Amino acid sequence: MIKREKLTSALTIAVLFFAGIAFAQTDPGVQSASRGTGVTIINPSDDPNGFTAFFNDGLVRFQEVETVSGSANVGLGPRFNSNQCSSCHAQPAVGGTGPAVNPQFLFTSNGVAPGNTMPSFITANGPTREARFPFGFNSNGSVNTNVIIGGVEALFTVTGRSDAGTCNSATALPQPSFALAVEENNVIFRIPTPVFGAGLIENLDDSTLLKNQVTNLKNNFGITGTFNHNGNDGTIARFGWKAQNKSLHLFTGEAYNVEMGITNEVFQNERPLPGEDGNGGSGDTGLVASCLNLAGIGYPEDRSNPNSTPNAAVLDDVSAFSNFMRFLAPPIQGGVVLNGQQVSAQSISTGSALFSSIGCATCHNPTPGTTQQSNFAPALSNAPVNAFSDIEIHTMGTTLADNVSQGGAGGDQFRTAPLWGLGQRIFLLHDGRTTNLITAIQDHASKGSEANTVIENFNSLSTAQQQEVLNFLRSL
Amino acid sequence: MHTGLVRVSLALAWSASLLAWGQGAPRNSMDFPSSATGQLTKVPEGVVLVKGARPSASDSVTPVPEGGSITDKVFTNKYFAMTYSLPPDWTQKYEGPPPSDSGRYVLAQFSPADTYKGPIRGNILITAEDLFFTPLPTANAVDLINYEKDNLQADYKVELPPTQTKIADRSFTFFAYWSPVAQLHWYVLATEMRCHALQIVLSSRDTKLLENSMRDLNKMKLPPAANASTDVVGGAVPVCLRDYASDENVIARVNPVFTERRSNPVPVRIIIDKEGKIKHIHFLSAFPDQAKAITDALAQWRFKRFLRDGQPVEVETGIMFGRVSQPPGHPVENAATQ
Repeated sequence: MIKREKLTSALTIAVLFFAGIAFAQTDPGVQSASRGTGVTIINPSDDPNGFTAFFNDGLVRFQEVETVSGSANVGLGPRFNSNQCSSCHAQPAVGGTGPAVNPQFLFTSNGVAPGNTMPSFITANGPTREARFPFGFNSNGSVNTNVIIGGVEALFTVTGRSDAGTCNSATALPQPSFALAVEENNVIFRIPTPVFGAGLIENLDDSTLLKNQVTNLKNNFGITGTFNHNGNDGTIARFGWKAQNKSLHLFTGEAYNVEMGITNEVFQNERPLPGEDGNGGSGDTGLVASCLNLAGIGYPEDRSNPNSTPNAAVLDDVSAFSNFMRFLAPPIQGGVVLNGQQVSAQSISTGSALFSSIGCATCHNPTPGTTQQSNFAPALSNAPVNAFSDIEIHTMGTTLADNVSQGGAGGDQFRTAPLWGLGQRIFLLHDGRTTNLITAIQDHASKGSEANTVIENFNSLSTAQQQEVLNFLRSL
Repeated sequence: MHTGLVRVSLALAWSASLLAWGQGAPRNSMDFPSSATGQLTKVPEGVVLVKGARPSASDSVTPVPEGGSITDKVFTNKYFAMTYSLPPDWTQKYEGPPPSDSGRYVLAQFSPADTYKGPIRGNILITAEDLFFTPLPTANAVDLINYEKDNLQADYKVELPPTQTKIADRSFTFFAYWSPVAQLHWYVLATEMRCHALQIVLSSRDTKLLENSMRDLNKMKLPPAANASTDVVGGAVPVCLRDYASDENVIARVNPVFTERRSNPVPVRIIIDKEGKIKHIHFLSAFPDQAKAITDALAQWRFKRFLRDGQPVEVETGIMFGRVSQPPGHPVENAATQ
């Protein structure tokens, strides 16, 4: 009898325990069913200017593998993070964000960067990343927080490659001191931003965004965003984790130069690393001569091709990439599977309402506005931009802060990340620190964050309600 | 409408605080930010060393709105002469963000501590909207609440339309709404102080908790309104006047020379002494180079003396420098320079 009582008691505890597990909220995770992402927004039957061909051409070039010299696609390096746009912009389709298997991790073994040491933060199944050192180092190796840097420290060099020509000395072209930077907490990361729907964001007029900003101010969550601006014409910048880039052309030109080391019509000169450029009185005078003009074709390494046919082939790569991104359709909302079971439409709908009610939508605006008339294609005209972002920058607190300033954005300010396509993203937040939505949500709260009250609201929801918010987010 | 709301509202109308009037040290030094952070062997965790536009002030003695502090579970804000005892088991887990370039402050945010044993959570958010700079079409606290009510998002329902009440001898506009789907309720109280709309926002799923929190506000210490028309605080602070930096009052004006092209709005509050000279500058949001240039320029400004009952008095007013971030068509009334 006593034994039976004990058994009953143990069973009761076990039932409660497993019930607790069953009712804990769970990130449904990456949704694997195809949602048709990666196609063009242009309706081929309504394309009076013929940009469909430019999209297709850009899509091909976006996947080309670049070499240092001796091929049809040269100019890589002398420093780079990857050799192909689509190696990082891959998930769930070309143009997206980092894939599950990190191609960067293979570079030291597959001939892409044979003379290099793999940084510890690049792992086989981790996020594709770029690295930045927020601060400089003293000569004794300690960090000097008076020297503010923050620029991209390219992960790899061409050293050891068979096509690297005169640039094959690790002494002349060393990798940055990533191990030291990690040890001294002086490195931050960025993962690729997906570019689906980017043409719609580009085509939002400033007046639309400004009016939307005022609308967003009528909240009781303590939230007020501002905009980052283009330094040249003062208009609202909108691309990148801190909205530091004005246009897709600028965004692409910079990426081609910074991420792949390919000079182009926007950025015509090879880029020395921060600290290699002589700024701050280091005495350095830029890249060594033996690592310049490795393609042997002069500069810029990417340029337009006046004698080529068809029309699309005349364009330089940067223009072709820009066209690809501009005409890439936004992600499509889809169904959600949680623990092998299809989530009901009602749950997603309720999650959407909760997302709005607790204040998430104050920044992650479902639709910050409608595009202006487009001179490219009708599909980009007068179209709602369902980006789940206000394109504003917000102060996000010490947990997310990266101590990198870009344009008017300080070290703790970030653009509201557009959430369209979130259901199929693997790595979350600007540095890819987590794959779990719950962690990503909770990291919005910390000292100095605008989101603290909203996260408190999220935490006040029941477990079932929080689950519905997560289900909704993975439907995007 | 929740049945407790009327009762709480009436109870607040006659309540008075018994708490001692105390002032703590400012939360942060509001001197111009120093870049001398020293040499470190490691970058410290949880510290923002590279800042964007930030608040600063010409001295660290004059209280500024964001300079509140919490000591022994009592929140004190010297600028608004406000003292508030936190409910038992509640805490400020995180400080809020810096003031925005549109003039919004998060003065404090309280929620149950991790040790709190209650089943339902709640939140108290205290904000201030600078009425000199807000892009919202509001001239006072009543306007602000009415605007919120008229523009309530579709999934919220009004529980109590804006109504007048009193807390600590000050008039407040009280407004309540809720979200049926989230089962969250918001009680919003707003009053006007030194040309700011001070808001206290209570939110929870538990209306009993909200009612208790409302009653706790009775213990809050606030200065009485001294003048209904300008709603200044007592007589110890400057008269706040919108648009005092207009041509008719400025005798000498020198525009700042910015060394770097930036596009952010730079809202600035100044206190003008009885002789017409600027005695205090508070930048709500500015980069250090902007604050320096504006400070240098304002040192040369002279104003007409402002007289009240024939006697010169100090004036607090606002000037928007830099880029004015307003939607097209919105009147820019405070801009002295572009």
